[in-house]
Amino acid sequence: MAEFRFLETGANPAAFNMGLDEAILESVASRAELPTLRLYAWKPRAVSVGYFQGARDEVDLARCAALGVDVVRRLTGGGAVFHADELTYSIVVPDSHPLARGEILESYRSICAGVIAGLAELGVPSEFAPLNDIVSGGKKLSGNAQTRRRGCVLQHGTVLLGVDPEAMFSVLLVPNEKLKGKLIEDVKARVSSVSDILGRIVGYGEAVPAFFRGFSSALGGLGPLSLPSDAEMARARVLAAERFASADWTFKR
Amino acid sequence: MTGSYIGKPEGGKLLRLTLDWQDGLIARASIRGDFFAHPEEGFDEAEAALVGAPVAEIGASFARELAARGVKLFGLAPESVAVAAYDILARAKAEKPEER
Repeated sequence: MAEFRFLETGANPAAFNMGLDEAILESVASRAELPTLRLYAWKPRAVSVGYFQGARDEVDLARCAALGVDVVRRLTGGGAVFHADELTYSIVVPDSHPLARGEILESYRSICAGVIAGLAELGVPSEFAPLNDIVSGGKKLSGNAQTRRRGCVLQHGTVLLGVDPEAMFSVLLVPNEKLKGKLIEDVKARVSSVSDILGRIVGYGEAVPAFFRGFSSALGGLGPLSLPSDAEMARARVLAAERFASADWTFKR
Repeated sequence: MTGSYIGKPEGGKLLRLTLDWQDGLIARASIRGDFFAHPEEGFDEAEAALVGAPVAEIGASFARELAARGVKLFGLAPESVAVAAYDILARAKAEKPEER
């Protein structure tokens, strides 16, 4: 019997995406579902801010509204992310699971092994860069964030399939506007993408089977492709509406 | 009085601190940035518990409130919050030397 459930849920609005990650956390916590890997994307494009960030500090809200870019606060810490051309994953395991054992750095490393294996399936060599990044040739390709609640670990993260620093900084605020040009250059120097490395466009549809195989080998097997339960979908919609799309939550900080 | 700080402490993540204070006591503290803390709600509670504490002791108070809730920080140290608060106080004093 497979020890991991495998979900692929396609592209959805930000509030629903975060609601579904939390709904899966709840269902794994209650043992209604197996430990779960989910692959997903974002439509429309979105900015997610870390749990401890100020949305008004980090995001050009007027610009996002004008461009139709969603803004959402995550359950996890870390920095603001512009979700455009990427594959996102979430993984939920109980605290007692081997992937969650040990110090937090150790569990980041264990779970990120699946991302690294997925990248390898696409032909991209990469390595873990503590605390929570994955790099290739010294450039960041993936950022990851964990929360521990309800007796479970939820880790979600992004894999950049393409990167557009100009678009990124059109929706993210920088502490000093005069620095914007330099920050864009910094991102170009420090961040890469699967498409940049391979010299061809790699889209979500191509990445999903590669990451299925990669996570499957790193996690010791995945169940067949399935969908969230009806209960999880219903709960995700409630969490999306009541928490993740609410101004109280978005502007909590 | 109100003041804000933004900086990147050595070895830490970006830290933003906004403080309101009256007679040397914290009326509101907002600690923001791209750091991690587990459990997150414990951090929220520790931050809220700073209200009424002396601004000058914010680092020790925050460390105590976090420890009481078993909160672990990554990319942020209570000492950095203290440094940020001292910076806010110093600037406030320079602007309005008659107030504390």
